[in-house]
Amino acid sequence: MTSIDVQDLTKEFGSKRAVDHLTFSVLPGRVTGFLGPNGAGKSTTLRLVLGLDRPTSGTATVGGRAYATLDEPLRHVGALLDAQAPHGSRTARDHLRALAVSNRIGPGRVDEVLEETGLASVARRRVKTYSLGMRQRLGIAAALLGDPPVVLLDEPSNGLDPEGIIWIREVLRRLAREGRTVLVSSHLMNETASFADHLVVLGRGRLLADTPMRDFIEARVEPRVRMRTTDGPALRGLLARHGYEASEDDEGRWTVHRARVEDIGTLASGAGLPILELAAEEGTLEQAYLDLTASEAEFTTTPVQPQEA
Amino acid sequence: MAFAPVLHSEWIKIRTLRSMLWALGAIVLATTAFSALAGLDPEGGDFDPLFTAFFGVSFGQVAAVAFGATAVSSEFQNGALRVSLSAVPQRGRWFAAKAVAVGVPALAVGLVTGFVTLTVGRAVLGDKANGITWTESVRGVVGCAVYLALMALFATGLAAVLRSGAATLGILIPFLILVSFVVGDASGGVADFLPDKAGQAVLHQTTEGSLGPWSGLAVTACWTAAALLAGAWSVRRRDA
Repeated sequence: MTSIDVQDLTKEFGSKRAVDHLTFSVLPGRVTGFLGPNGAGKSTTLRLVLGLDRPTSGTATVGGRAYATLDEPLRHVGALLDAQAPHGSRTARDHLRALAVSNRIGPGRVDEVLEETGLASVARRRVKTYSLGMRQRLGIAAALLGDPPVVLLDEPSNGLDPEGIIWIREVLRRLAREGRTVLVSSHLMNETASFADHLVVLGRGRLLADTPMRDFIEARVEPRVRMRTTDGPALRGLLARHGYEASEDDEGRWTVHRARVEDIGTLASGAGLPILELAAEEGTLEQAYLDLTASEAEFTTTPVQPQEA
Repeated sequence: MAFAPVLHSEWIKIRTLRSMLWALGAIVLATTAFSALAGLDPEGGDFDPLFTAFFGVSFGQVAAVAFGATAVSSEFQNGALRVSLSAVPQRGRWFAAKAVAVGVPALAVGLVTGFVTLTVGRAVLGDKANGITWTESVRGVVGCAVYLALMALFATGLAAVLRSGAATLGILIPFLILVSFVVGDASGGVADFLPDKAGQAVLHQTTEGSLGPWSGLAVTACWTAAALLAGAWSVRRRDA
C-alpha cells in the first residue's frame, strides 16, 4: 500500500531549523490530521514530501520512492498547498487542463473533478472572479485530478462556507474509506476532530505526537461523567467507597472525575440508586492539544541542553 | 516522463493567458509601426534602407522581452511554480519545455513581423528601398524572427534567475532602450557585443562593426544560451 514515510527529516533555512529530525509515517485508509501552530513546520514538511524543497538531511518518500522519481506524479499523489496558486487570468478549466495534459490525464477527467467539486457551472470563468472558497475547491479538484492513492491538503477548509466545510469533511472521509492515504494539515481543532482518525502533531519542527486521535484525547483529557440522582448522600458514599472523586454543584448535578459512564452506570444500578441523568463528558481535541502545547511550552522554557555534535 | 506532454501543458499555459497573446500581437504592431515612422523620415548620411525597414524591431523586442519574461514570472507568483513542479518534478525538462513554448511562438510571430515590417517599410520608403536585394530581404526576415525569439528567450532565462517579471523588465527595458541608443551609437569595440547590438547586425544592409550579420546573431545566441543555462540552474537548484 502507498504510505508516506518521513525519516529523520531536517530542513534549515539559514540558521533557522524549520523541520527538526522528523520521523513519522502516514498510512492508507484513514485521515491523518497534521496539527501544529503556525510556523511549526507543517507546510515545509509537505513541500519536502513533494520534492519542492531540498531537505538539509533525511528523506521523505511516497510509496517508498522519492517524489521527484515518480513518473506522472499526479497519478500517485494529489496535493493542495496554496489555493491562490492558479493564475487569476486563466479559467479553472484551462488551469486543470494544463495540469492534466502534463501527466497524460484525459480531458474527461477534468470535467469529472470540476463536477465533483461543484465548479462545473463556473469552470469557464477566470479564477480571479472566484471567492477563496471556490479557489479551495479548485485546488482540491487539482489534487484529485490523477485519482491518486495519496492526497495531501494544506488547510483545505480555509475560506470555505459552512456548506463547503461539511463537503470537504465528507470528501476526506470518503477518500480514506476508499483506502487512500490522506494527510490534512490544519490549525482548526474542532474541524480536524470532525474528520481525522489519526494525528501527527508538530511543534517547532519537531514531532510532538503521532497517535490515533481517540488515544490522543483520552491520554490528555480526563474522562468525566455527569449525573443526577434523587439520593445525593447515597451516591457520595457509593463513589467514595469505589475511590472516585466527585463534586456536586448547586443544582444537584454531580461530576465524577476520571470515570467512564459504563463503570458508573453499572455501579449505580448495582446499588439500586435512582438515576435521573447519566452522561459522558467527552474530552475535545482542543483540550488535548492545549494540554500538549502547554507541556511543550514548559519543556522548551527549561534551559537548553548543549546540542549533540 | 515524456517531453511532449510537458511541452503541450506549457503551451496551454501560454495560450490561455490573454496577456501573453497581447504581447505576441504587440511584437508585430510595435515593430511595423516604428519601421513605418522611420521610413517616413529616413536619415541622410549613413542611410541603410534595410535597417530602416526593420527599425521598429528595437521597439518590438520590448514586447518580445515582456512575452518571454511573463511566461516565467507568472510561475513565481503565489506558488504557481509549486503546482507546476508537483506535476513535472523533472525541473530541467520542465524548464526546457517552458523555453520551447516561449521560443517557437516568438519565432513564428517574428517571421510574420519580419515579413510585415519589410513589406510596409518598403512601401513607405518607395524608391529609396530599391537597393534592397532579394537575399538581403530573406536574411532580414529570418534574422528578425531569430533575433526576436532570442531576445524573448534571453528574458525567459533572466526571469528564472531573478524569479520576478518586474525585476527582469526593470533591467532589460532600460537596457534595451537607453544603453543601446546611447552606448550603442558609439559603435565599435565592446558595444558591438551587447546582446541586442550584436544581433541587430543581421538587419543591416552593410555592417561596419567587427561582427557580420550571422556572427552577430551567434553572439546574441550565446547571450541567450547563457541566460537560459543560468535560469535552468536556478530552477533546478533552488527550493520552489
